[in-house]
Amino acid sequence: MRIQDHPILDFSKGRKVRFWFEDRELEGYEGEPIAAALHAAGVRVLSESPVRHRPRGFFCAIGNCSSCLMTVDGRPNVRVCVEALHEGMRVQKQRGGRGDLA
Amino acid sequence: MSGGPKKYDAIVVGAGPAGLSAAAELGRAGARTLVLDRDTRPGGQLVKQTHKFFGSEKQRAGTRGVEIARLLREEVAALPAVEMWLNSTVLGFYSDRVITVERVKDAPGEERREWLEKVTAPVFVLATGAAERFLPFPNNDLPGIYGAGAAQTLMNVHGVRPGRRVVMVGAGNIGLIVSYQLLQAGVEVAAIVEAAPVIGGYLVHAAKVRRAGVPILTSHTVKEAHGREALEGVTVWRLDEKWQPVPGTEKYIAADVLCLATGLSPLAELLFQAGCQMAYVPELGGHVPVHGEDLETSVPGVFVAGDVSGVEEASAAMVEGHLAGLGAAARLGLVRDLAAVAAGWRAELASLRAGPSGEKIRRGLAKLAGQTAGMAASSPAGSPVSPASAPAASAPAAPPPATSAPKPGKPGRTLSPQLTSTGEPAASELESSLPPADRRRQGPYAVIECFQEIPCDPCHKACRTGAIGPFPDINLTPAYEAAHCNGCALCVAQCPGLACFVVDENYSPSEALLKLPYEFLPLPAAGHTVDLLDRTGALVGSGRVVRVVRSRSKLATPVVWVTVPSEKVGTVRNIRVPATKGGAAE
Ligand SMILES: Cc1cc2nc3c(=O)[nH]c(=O)nc-3n(C[C@H](O)[C@H](O)[C@H](O)COP(=O)(O)OP(=O)(O)OC[C@H]3O[C@@H](n4cnc5c(N)ncnc54)[C@H](O)[C@@H]3O)c2cc1C
Ligand code: SF4
Ligand code: SF4
Repeated sequence: MRIQDHPILDFSKGRKVRFWFEDRELEGYEGEPIAAALHAAGVRVLSESPVRHRPRGFFCAIGNCSSCLMTVDGRPNVRVCVEALHEGMRVQKQRGGRGDLA
Repeated sequence: MSGGPKKYDAIVVGAGPAGLSAAAELGRAGARTLVLDRDTRPGGQLVKQTHKFFGSEKQRAGTRGVEIARLLREEVAALPAVEMWLNSTVLGFYSDRVITVERVKDAPGEERREWLEKVTAPVFVLATGAAERFLPFPNNDLPGIYGAGAAQTLMNVHGVRPGRRVVMVGAGNIGLIVSYQLLQAGVEVAAIVEAAPVIGGYLVHAAKVRRAGVPILTSHTVKEAHGREALEGVTVWRLDEKWQPVPGTEKYIAADVLCLATGLSPLAELLFQAGCQMAYVPELGGHVPVHGEDLETSVPGVFVAGDVSGVEEASAAMVEGHLAGLGAAARLGLVRDLAAVAAGWRAELASLRAGPSGEKIRRGLAKLAGQTAGMAASSPAGSPVSPASAPAASAPAAPPPATSAPKPGKPGRTLSPQLTSTGEPAASELESSLPPADRRRQGPYAVIECFQEIPCDPCHKACRTGAIGPFPDINLTPAYEAAHCNGCALCVAQCPGLACFVVDENYSPSEALLKLPYEFLPLPAAGHTVDLLDRTGALVGSGRVVRVVRSRSKLATPVVWVTVPSEKVGTVRNIRVPATKGGAAE
């Protein structure tokens, strides 16, 4: 899913880092949003809706809509569309929506 | 936190084109200004816009959005009076004019830090932009359904494709532009679905995606989305004249991404908190602050600019930013004759909104003006200037040297239903874009397929021979006089609508030469054989690439010279490099 060659843009990426999504080890670039790294690795379901447990992904990608809340290194309700990826991060789906409202 | 809030002369919330332009004015006037943005990079929507902008030279028309963002950033960074906090979200605006900011430091190798900070100033410019609207239909919460801006952020900022095959909802400028950018990123666009019977965005943008083979389904909407864990397909259906879905017209389209480009709403929370008088004006995107020409809200010293004051365009956002910045600086006593300095910007704004594409904005602003009547007396920051005293938006250019000067397109020109509903010009429109038959045989000439009145003029700026005359009003269609055209194709490379082509019918006894803009990878090279496509993206033959004119910068549009069978030169408007790597060299 990564764009290698673009007719107009050049992408400058941070260094490659490893991180954990649930129990899978994945690769991404340091500093990019966690959601971008997950998406590039083919992960699109980021959480489950609180009541009907429907799968959820991100929608706005700029931190407006809270559709992408996940637990990161034990911190609940992180908006992964704007949170930067770091080496060794542990990213988990939040079952039942907002961690504090579950 | 110890002590009271940090004090500044001015605070600008939002570092998009509006906020940065306001900060530039405040900084130049010498106001100690704090600019806040929640993003990690300044530029707002511009950082993801790879296409060239419309407007006039003053709003950097013909320049790509990403480049405009860089220029604005550098302009502000050079001003010592301006301080910028990124990764800083404004959470609240309190009645004592104190705002709280959630700041984050998240550098690699350092421990992440989050803290709150309070700041205050006598004047504010709120330029928070707008948010994308959602659309109700069954299963609209499936992963794979994104705002068009989100898809754009993912691919153009982070270099990740949103998916493999996309259905776009909305044929306004955002839907059309993001579709084109998806194609550039190597993503297939299965269709653009639009509920209205006509395309709302600029028709030159529609023509770009049409000739890449993307169907635009007007009078259609989404019935439902399908998929278990994530999106797998979309059912669309037709709407009748009363906007009612017609059963039996359902079409299933396989897609892993559905992009919604169904409109923006101003991000107005801070304005509500600040106690600004608000009005609901659908033409401007929803709840907008009541404000006058000086962009001051009902709360003295609180100015607005850009999409948050009414959803419009980056060009207008920049001009409003300048006006709000000047107004705020005047409030601080740092600008002496506000009316005089603001007059040029006001005239510019009026000219941007003067054409048919500005009609909706004008209607919205008129509604809003009804509400400002009572406010005018209480906002002494600037007195309204009469348009008559304002200088012309752009200095009139010298007329072309030749006898028969190009005549500008007549205003109020009607467009064919075919063009407005499909993006493909009708035969009569194409006919009107061609020079007389005897001129066509004499040598290369430009064909300008720009039929709609939009605020745009880079083709005139590009043309050095005077064949494309000056625009007395930026909203008119280009005035082209083939007698002066030498076929240089500078207009082809410059036109942000990619609407200019050059034809040389005398290339060989059986072939014509076509010079066309091509912004995709791989670029062909001289000698390659390429597929020739018509205005709907259908294959109509093959041609040989004679030359590829490109500049060292990736930001410029490459122009491909390709041979076309003589009888097809009026039909071919795009090329495709065959899947075999780079096309077969002959
Ligand atoms: C796909 C697309 C294509 C477009 N094409 C064109 C075009 O061809 N020509 C044209 O003229 N215009 C175009 N536009 C429109 C143009 O981008 C917008 O009108 C313009 O960016 C509005 O500028 P702005 O400064 O008001 O808002 P924005 O650019 O949205 O900037 C607002 C900024 O405020 C920040 N912000 C918001 N809330 C907060 C908060 N609480 N705290 C801190 N910061 C905050 C945001 O992070 C953002 O950086 C396009 C828009 C889109 C989405
Ligand atoms: S081809 Fe050259 S001379 Fe002709 S209209 Fe375009 S820019 Fe002007
Ligand atoms: S032909 Fe001229 S007016 Fe039309 S889109 Fe191109 S540059 Fe703009």
